[in-house]
Amino acid sequence: MINLTIDGKKIQVEEGTTILQAAENLDIKIPTLCFHPLLEPYGACRVCVVEVTLNKKTNIVTSCNTKVKEDMDIQTASERALKARKLNIEMLMAQAPAAEPVQEIAKELGIEKTRFEITDTEEKCILCGLCVRACEEVVGASAISFVERGAKREVSTPFGEESEACIGCTACAFFCPTGAITSEDLHGRKVIHEELGLGPSTAIRIPIRQAVPMVPFIDEESCIHFKTGKCKLCEKVCEKEAINHEAEDTEIEVEVGSVIIASGFKSFDAKRIPAYGYGRYRNIITALEFERMVNASSPTGGDILMANGEEPKAVGIVHCVGSRDENYNEYCSRVCCMYSLKFAHLLKEKTEANIYDFYIDMRCFGKGYEEFYHRILAEGAKFIRGRVAEITDLALTEKEEGKLIIRSEDTLLGVVRRIPVDMVILATGLEPGVDQKDIANKFNISCSQDGFFLERHPKLAPASTFSDGIFLAGACQSPKDIPDTVAQAGAAAAEALALADKGTFELEPVTAEIDEDLCAGCQICLGLCPFTAISYNEEKTICEINDALCKGCGTCVSACPSGASQQKHFRDNQIFAEIEGLFIE
Amino acid sequence: MTEKNKDKTFRIHLMVCAGTACVSNGSFEIKEALEKEIKKYDLKEEVLVVTTGCNGFCERGPLLVVQPGNIFYQQLKLKDIPHLVEEHFLKGRPVEKLMYSPPEEKTPIPILSDIDFFKKQVLIALQNRGLIDPEKIDEYIARDGYRALAKALTEMTPEEIIKEIKESGLRGRGGGGFPTGLKWEFVRNATSPNGGEKYIICNGDEGDPGAFMDRSILEADPHCVIEGMLIGAKAVGASQGFLYVRDEYPLAISRLNIALEQAREYGLLGKDIFGSGFDFDIKVTRGAGAFVCGEETALLASVEGKLGEPRPRPPYPAESGLWGKPTCINNVETWANICRIINRGGKWFSSIGTETSKGTKVFSLVGKINNTGLVEVPMGITLREIIEDIGGGIPGGKEFKAVQTGGPSGGCIPKEKIDLPIDYESLSEVGSIMGSGGMVVMDEDTCMVDVAKFFLTFTQDESCGKCTPCREGTKAMQQILTRITEGKGKEEDLSLLEDLAKSIKDSALCGLGQTAPNPVLTTIRYFRDEYEAHIQEKKCPAHVCRELNTYTIDEDICLNKGHGCDLCRKNCSADAILGEKKQAHKIIQDKCIKCGVCYDVCNFGAVKVD
Repeated sequence: MINLTIDGKKIQVEEGTTILQAAENLDIKIPTLCFHPLLEPYGACRVCVVEVTLNKKTNIVTSCNTKVKEDMDIQTASERALKARKLNIEMLMAQAPAAEPVQEIAKELGIEKTRFEITDTEEKCILCGLCVRACEEVVGASAISFVERGAKREVSTPFGEESEACIGCTACAFFCPTGAITSEDLHGRKVIHEELGLGPSTAIRIPIRQAVPMVPFIDEESCIHFKTGKCKLCEKVCEKEAINHEAEDTEIEVEVGSVIIASGFKSFDAKRIPAYGYGRYRNIITALEFERMVNASSPTGGDILMANGEEPKAVGIVHCVGSRDENYNEYCSRVCCMYSLKFAHLLKEKTEANIYDFYIDMRCFGKGYEEFYHRILAEGAKFIRGRVAEITDLALTEKEEGKLIIRSEDTLLGVVRRIPVDMVILATGLEPGVDQKDIANKFNISCSQDGFFLERHPKLAPASTFSDGIFLAGACQSPKDIPDTVAQAGAAAAEALALADKGTFELEPVTAEIDEDLCAGCQICLGLCPFTAISYNEEKTICEINDALCKGCGTCVSACPSGASQQKHFRDNQIFAEIEGLFIE
Repeated sequence: MTEKNKDKTFRIHLMVCAGTACVSNGSFEIKEALEKEIKKYDLKEEVLVVTTGCNGFCERGPLLVVQPGNIFYQQLKLKDIPHLVEEHFLKGRPVEKLMYSPPEEKTPIPILSDIDFFKKQVLIALQNRGLIDPEKIDEYIARDGYRALAKALTEMTPEEIIKEIKESGLRGRGGGGFPTGLKWEFVRNATSPNGGEKYIICNGDEGDPGAFMDRSILEADPHCVIEGMLIGAKAVGASQGFLYVRDEYPLAISRLNIALEQAREYGLLGKDIFGSGFDFDIKVTRGAGAFVCGEETALLASVEGKLGEPRPRPPYPAESGLWGKPTCINNVETWANICRIINRGGKWFSSIGTETSKGTKVFSLVGKINNTGLVEVPMGITLREIIEDIGGGIPGGKEFKAVQTGGPSGGCIPKEKIDLPIDYESLSEVGSIMGSGGMVVMDEDTCMVDVAKFFLTFTQDESCGKCTPCREGTKAMQQILTRITEGKGKEEDLSLLEDLAKSIKDSALCGLGQTAPNPVLTTIRYFRDEYEAHIQEKKCPAHVCRELNTYTIDEDICLNKGHGCDLCRKNCSADAILGEKKQAHKIIQDKCIKCGVCYDVCNFGAVKVD
């Protein structure tokens, strides 16, 4: 431990402490500009100068990078130190008049005006080097550095050209104390993203406010550490030491008796309909994006805003995007009409906008749904019956200038209409999930023609599959809304519980079996079995049937060329005997 | 000597100076002409022409010294050569008209050592100057070269070497004046992280305006620097050295590379030198032209391939230098002294000089002085001896005004202090520094505000820009000085300049910034009246600051003496002069752009400046 005196107060600090840190322990504030606790001290701005007496020698030193020594006597605001500090601030006021932190310190020090010549009144950069050091020390990219020397010194990329070394992390802007480097042009706050994110997100985030469990995660795609191997600032500041960059995904194996598949759906990709302009026009968004935006925890704080940050004055809602369309999906997605009505309601509630709903026909089939439709009609949303042909920004009249124009036939009026709006919400339909086929293969269940999982019986067993112990719940089986999903999930859970309670399940008595002596090992049956119940025994060079999996469909029996595969209780000779018995009379 | 001539003896050796100044004055052509003439008279077996490093008397180049006899020829021209060869080398009659005669005297001085310029010099660092061919290691060895290395490697322990250097009292010749032996001891005792190596660096980034000591040593005697570094390496325990030389010194770099190659060939560099088991090699690193890289921490960054900007000290390079390893950095001249100290002993070295500053110092004597050149003088010599005796006084009978030492980091010493004995302490007392040895002499025609402005413009331009006081402070001082010299100075400017200077000295990061205000502070201290004349009366007493001058024509002189020669009017680019031939001329002040051409062209002194 080292004993020293700061402004007359005695203090004991650990070896290796800087004067600045020691002063902080005593609540003595020394102004700094080029210092940042997460970066190595640089000692360039010379604003943190203090007067130090040691061994009867008095010197002016920078407190940010001078380590304490035994018996140091430090004056943080001696006349000499203050004079140097004030003059340095005064010079920075002339060099970067628009730098706010400089003005703040100047105010504290009682400097009103600089006596030196101001060359650029807009200048903000004080050449503190925080950005350069952040890029090198933290990010490890070293994409920017100082160029030129003396008064011509400035921060730049090599040769002032766009640098490949820059990974676009905006750490430089984050560390910049004066706003000389901004990231606005990179990520405006209210940019509406093509993805569901709606605007910039950090590498460490909680996916959404409703996430379970509600803990942040590190997004490897955006995390600087996974790009350059450096940074790890979060590890440094996390007091609980809860961050581990080395953690990897782990696979967990669980043994279960039954499985409920609730793998959900995928939203229709609106880019597949080029005429609707999604991805080309920033103010055309999908239903899920709108849902994210109106959420109170969204980047806009729940406000409904366009890409330029303004509230829309007219909004179009296009129904049946990707549904009920021979070109995409023939089926009705069942939920779009109702959520579109909800959107119309929210828009009415939160904005003054005119709302246009373009529908084929309204499908309000549930309890209270039709009433809700009438309520929205009463609220003043305009409903236009007809499929939207195109959304464009090509204005034909002055009124359409700067707007998105929805062109659609109004089948009730029998005319083609052009409605100019500020924002369009596409009511995208529901499609089978991205890994639907993988899941089907894994669990050996079938899909219907539309790609959703096939239930055992549409009326009598809507939550079961053809495999015992595997049940379905929700939109993976067919598009459905929340009440239907909850009902189906309850049914699936009950069936699974019933099975668990019984502890056993009944095997099909009528299964196939293979006669070892007759099987030639041709493996024709292997590929035909729909339940993968047949396996090939390489040692015995014959095929074998797993009784627990076999459903007794008889496919293998009819296909077996040597007659080795026989259906129990329905063997050939049994059937022939029965036929013979019929003719005995 | 070529292989053929190696064991041959010659009647006469002609030592042609091939320092940069003489080379640019045509010394290589002189050499060729000499060889041609010698061939003509069939003297090839008797007379040998040798090119040597800088002789020092650069004012009088191209130079030729004839050995034996030490006869000194100067300001040679190609047309003089046939006559010289015929008269002197064939007939044996030295040519008087090519010899040096002091300004006010007519009698030529034939022998080099009798010339005042050389008489008062004591050569240690420059002891081989003009005597050996720097591109031939044999000639260096013949002058006791590498004897000190042999002694250091085979007879002395590192501790003994350090003891000897400490006893000599040698201090860093780069400007700081830190005791060399002590620095070596620090490096020796420092432990390198992870058991790594230590480094030796020779700082040859000489950047002061008007200074060329290091260049001359590197060009004239590269081996003595290499030998010094080898001894230093043994003392501190280093195995790799770097010679950092600015790229503006191509001749020095090429001679160094030749010297290094030869030393390697002779086994004086590389593995197991002299069979002592000691390994050391040197690499030449070329500086890219930043003055600040002469500062040791910036130099380290530059060698490492980083942006050449300084970092705070401590840690000093002796603790954590190149790539974080203990590093011993010394200036060229310091290294050049080492082998001589080892050869002749620290006691001998410390017998020269003053109480606190031992040995000699090389100065480059430039400016308004008769004998421009490189001089090596013992510490403690007075400024008067250097300027009047060695330098031969001020040309044109003008009055001596001040001398600027230490380059842009130094200060101006006024004529009242001309009897100041020179050492580190005395110079710092009068507000200047020893620096690396630049010495710029100024006469009465020099404006001291302009001088301060000149040096501030230099430091302002060369500041790396890292710290605020140096980057912004030098700019601010330069702006204030500029406005003073333009007649726009304000009353408060002087105190603002002083405030600025003090704060910059206090708070700048490195030596460049901390010393940058010295030229301003010393000129204000000794020539305050000149500043006041600029600010209050809007006059430049030395008539250097153009904007403050008023040009008038004395009509009487113009008409009576010059008969209205009209030369001024013809040369005036601003059409500001009225008059015709045989009439008195007149300057229209509103039109005059104060270029001073009329003053320069008037042969009758009719144009007056005030």
